[in-house]
Amino acid sequence: MFGRLAAALLLAGSVALLYTNGFFQEDKWGPFLEPSTWRFLGEGLAVTLAIGFTSLILSLLIGIPLGMARADLKGPLRYPIGGYIELVRATPILAILLITLLGLPRLGVDIEPFWAGVVALTMYTSAVLGEIVRAGIDSIPRGEVEAARSLGLDYRHTMRRVVLPQALARMTPAIVSQLITLIKDTSLLFIIGVQELVGYGRSFFNFYGNLLETYFVIAVIFFLINYPLSRLSRRLESGRPPDERVAVSGEEDQVVARAS
Amino acid sequence: MTGILGNPLFIEGYLTTLALTAGAMLASLFIGTMVASLRVWGGPIMRSLTGAYVEFFRNTPLLVQLLFIVVLLAPSNLGVTRDPLVAALFGLSVYTGAYVTEVVRSGILAVDPRQIEAARTLGLSQAQALRHVVLPQAIRTVIPPLGNLSIALVKNSAIAGGIAATDLLQVARILEARPPFTFDPFIAALFAYWTITIPLAWAVSRLERRLAFAR
Repeated sequence: MFGRLAAALLLAGSVALLYTNGFFQEDKWGPFLEPSTWRFLGEGLAVTLAIGFTSLILSLLIGIPLGMARADLKGPLRYPIGGYIELVRATPILAILLITLLGLPRLGVDIEPFWAGVVALTMYTSAVLGEIVRAGIDSIPRGEVEAARSLGLDYRHTMRRVVLPQALARMTPAIVSQLITLIKDTSLLFIIGVQELVGYGRSFFNFYGNLLETYFVIAVIFFLINYPLSRLSRRLESGRPPDERVAVSGEEDQVVARAS
Repeated sequence: MTGILGNPLFIEGYLTTLALTAGAMLASLFIGTMVASLRVWGGPIMRSLTGAYVEFFRNTPLLVQLLFIVVLLAPSNLGVTRDPLVAALFGLSVYTGAYVTEVVRSGILAVDPRQIEAARTLGLSQAQALRHVVLPQAIRTVIPPLGNLSIALVKNSAIAGGIAATDLLQVARILEARPPFTFDPFIAALFAYWTITIPLAWAVSRLERRLAFAR
């Protein structure tokens, strides 16, 4: 009862605060009724989606082999790749982003902010995907691998016909969760001056002076992309016994996928 | 390199990141516990309101939330503060709080409600049943995911630099642009983050294994 009252007061309070700050004023929201606004923000969204999509494809291309190499018990690359994945996952994405943008030119490689962003997002996401793939492969009971090997299948065929088809189904919810993280992290490119959705938003409110409203609308646009993805991830995960769930540590979107 | 590690600004940045993370973790634990209780026991209206909070903050970028909060708290609006560090602490807490809510909620739901009935039958009050029966079991379920969230929080704290709060990464950025213009500040920051995240990750995986056996 007390909690409900407190929450109701909190909600009423925040609405009142927003009201006194003109958050509900018509002139602040008016620009969002113009079609030109949505064309403009749409251009920003296109850049955001281009960053996310390019990074996703590259991350899948790099992350899956990384994870498979790490899961290969006899492979020579197991430990070096494992170390690389752990170090990348222990680093803030923004740190990787700034180091790519400011470090590469020092090595004589000129890179545009857009591509520095794609490189950094790919580096981080592929490490996480590598870990998801490894966890997926490791979740398949050893007995199935031994059974396949004793039936005469070699390592490649055991992987392709027995382990990977099952592992892939278990990995999919985690991969979708990581896609949400990736899409949210495209906004970090704003910090290094790439004109994506947030950057377009800033140009927009510099003109109309409606900062809060614009940030809110941008958040809603991200929400409309990510919410269906998080529903999808949850639906793919539902009904799967806990020991068959794959989620990697240190990622907030993975934690919740495992928890709920 | 040794010059950087002794730089007072760098040390301050490191301590800022530690304080920001610890403060936001504590605050998000408080938020998460409160909201999760409302989410489970608060009735249908509370359930949808708390659900909206969780889903909205989970599915939108932390940077956009921080930018919103900076403007909201600024003198031209609420006039609370123009200190980006306060805004960062607030933003990180509310963002992480949404995740803590989901973790705590799953911890509560992991305990069979019939245990509460059994405890009540044995003469415990509702509060006693929650404190002595539900809580000890729920804590065991939530500790590993909360540890994971703290690792994520350390990494997310770097985004505070996006609103010009002088955390570790932002300090590295400032120092790199000063004489002698070496890249050392970033390399040092990298290792500094690892001194936090790698031991945390190790501790969480250890805890995860121990709690799995204890079950």
